[in-house]
Amino acid sequence: MPFPLGRPLGVADDPEFQKDVLRSALRLLETAAEPVIEDYPHEAPDGNGDGVWACSVSMPQPDVSDLESALRREVDLLMPWYEETRRARGRSTVGMSGATPEQIDSVVSFVAACAEGAGFSVVPEAAQGPNWIHPMPMLLRYVVEDLRAFYQEAVTSRPGTTPPSQHDMHTWIFGETALGRALMQIGHRIAEVGDPPLLMMRGFMIPEGFWIDGPTWGQQPRTDAAPDAFRRAAAYLAGERS
Amino acid sequence: MVRLDDLHPEEAQHMRGMGQRFSRMPLGDTPFTAPPPLGEAKIALITSAGLHRRHDRPFRFGDMGYRIIPNDVDRADLIQTQVSVNFDRTHYQRDINVVLPLDRLRELADAGEIGGVSEWHYSVLGSNPNPFFLKDAAADLAQRMRESDVHCAMLTPV
Repeated sequence: MPFPLGRPLGVADDPEFQKDVLRSALRLLETAAEPVIEDYPHEAPDGNGDGVWACSVSMPQPDVSDLESALRREVDLLMPWYEETRRARGRSTVGMSGATPEQIDSVVSFVAACAEGAGFSVVPEAAQGPNWIHPMPMLLRYVVEDLRAFYQEAVTSRPGTTPPSQHDMHTWIFGETALGRALMQIGHRIAEVGDPPLLMMRGFMIPEGFWIDGPTWGQQPRTDAAPDAFRRAAAYLAGERS
Repeated sequence: MVRLDDLHPEEAQHMRGMGQRFSRMPLGDTPFTAPPPLGEAKIALITSAGLHRRHDRPFRFGDMGYRIIPNDVDRADLIQTQVSVNFDRTHYQRDINVVLPLDRLRELADAGEIGGVSEWHYSVLGSNPNPFFLKDAAADLAQRMRESDVHCAMLTPV
């Protein structure tokens, strides 16, 4: 299936295409007498995005001198559209950190604090309240993902517009929003600490191609290529420092 | 799977390295069991999307377990604690079927194209440097599916 990573059925909201993908895979079972690999012959309808998506919510130029205020202004502007998406879809993917959508203010406090100097080993004081479900430092990665999901769901609410690709979303977030600035600031702070597992975590927050200073994992071997290093990094990111 | 040419060069290089390592792993004989005709086959989904219900234990980086997703799960109750940032979440945010095609399987069953849909589906964390880390989970899943009369598992990798 020649679809982007994350889309094994090809495309959202196209039941016939999705069923064709399923049928094509299942029908291999009717003829195969041994394990086989076959390529699915069709591209997903909007597989690569058209590169012309533009955010439909007017956002101010982010004021990096007061990142937390800039983040809150963006969240305030996006909130009505986020709520509309949540209503229309009957669901939201926010909640990966343990924060509920109603606790997005704590998510903002968390991201702002980590961008502006809080340590990576404990939950920032300003972000107490939600039932965070991951240990630090890895919790930060899921807090970031919740805020990114909030932004993405907010700006994809309007029907009839061309849905953005993930690349469109990253380009917008890192190019035009205070969230992007905050993520880059967190990335620089991780670089200052320099711990390889934290650099790995940066690679879970900033996609390849969007970190301004080389590979997002830093100039180190991809740690997940070595099982022992992978286990050590997993323990470190789960807060086990011994 | 995605074409390597469609990935960022760093990510493509990483994937090539993983592929080279996997190709050297001793897989042994590849089992193959012919299922019943599709019209009689009961099918379960296994996704590496890191999906689970909100009250389930979240996936942790390095998690080698699995989570159960009931076939009648409330779609709003599903979240995704996959660690990787290098895959497209925008379609999943719009339509859960793009990673977990629960509605599509039900439609195929209603049309008689498949025999039935499993009462349970399963989720694992796909960001994993070694497929053998999931060996115990895979063996347990196979046993559970066998006990619930599942004939085929459809894998949906992210």
